[in-house]
Amino acid sequence: MKLKSVISVFAFVTTFAASTVAMSSQSDEHAKAAGWNKGGGEQDAALHLKPDLENGLDVFEVCSACHLPEGWGTEEGTFPQLAGQHRRVLIKQLADIRALNRDNPTMYPFALPESIGDSQAISDVTAYIEKLKMNPAAGKGPASADLVKGEKLFKDNCVKCHGETAMGDAQKYYPRLNGQHYKYMKRQFTWIRDGKRRNANPDMVEQIKNFSEEDEVNVLTYVTHIPVPKEDLAPSKDYRNPDFD
Amino acid sequence: MKKLTQMVMAVACTAGIGFASNAMALDGGALYLDATKGGCSACHGKDAKTPVMPTYPKLAGQNADYVYNQIKDIQSGARSNGMTAAMKGITHMTTDEEKKAIAKWISEQK
Repeated sequence: MKLKSVISVFAFVTTFAASTVAMSSQSDEHAKAAGWNKGGGEQDAALHLKPDLENGLDVFEVCSACHLPEGWGTEEGTFPQLAGQHRRVLIKQLADIRALNRDNPTMYPFALPESIGDSQAISDVTAYIEKLKMNPAAGKGPASADLVKGEKLFKDNCVKCHGETAMGDAQKYYPRLNGQHYKYMKRQFTWIRDGKRRNANPDMVEQIKNFSEEDEVNVLTYVTHIPVPKEDLAPSKDYRNPDFD
Repeated sequence: MKKLTQMVMAVACTAGIGFASNAMALDGGALYLDATKGGCSACHGKDAKTPVMPTYPKLAGQNADYVYNQIKDIQSGARSNGMTAAMKGITHMTTDEEKKAIAKWISEQK
């Protein structure tokens, strides 16, 4: 009993310390580039565990408070759409946020084992999210964007990794981009280019370093016009996740 | 003069109705739970007193004006200490009127 209370105090102190680190300024050791994909740790552990979809739904209830029960995120870009994203990408991002390799103070507490559970929980919830039907009304780029220029930029710079249809590459942890909200992509693109997103792929940082604001708007708007495969989409924007009835 | 008075009255009346209907239309409790309005409950708990982290505040029963002013200060950057980094990114998701309605609802929780 005494041991148990010592452990829980320790767990509390550790959580507190970790959260303080996560919230603190960029000046500490975590501000260094975290590297793109070191693998190992929870990322590998979660990848190799057999997912339990029922527990995945339980865990997802935590996520749904911000990402919505449908996993659709918000059009204004604060919370990304998670539905339909590759499980391996979700595992990597969740493990990175939890390991302080990606700064996300709003998300951080929800990535902690105290909130969602261990590697098995990561395995479960990401399998659940990957199967969710996607938002058919994801945020588009501005009408003023030049789609012809955007398409050229996309073909010259993005297709090699993210693919013609912006489906990404699950095996390499490259996210699918089709169906993502424009404003979320805009923020992440800028952060990746400017070095603020520490777990970014260095090849991408290099690839987009000379993108102007106009280039960014054009290419990302083009991405928002790449159709999501019909079988991945929810039937309408009024669709509600039946698991939450 | 009479016309001016009438006009002022009409404007005041319209503004008054606008304010009253607005205040009635906004459900602070629903906004507090709404992810598209920042999802306050995710961090501070559905009852506003079971925060997800021990370093996050319990809000239930706090003064409405105090809550509103903290949200505004975190949004503007006037307040940037403590755990505000977790909150700053979601403060733009509500209008001032919505913030006030949420703050009022919080103040009414026991």
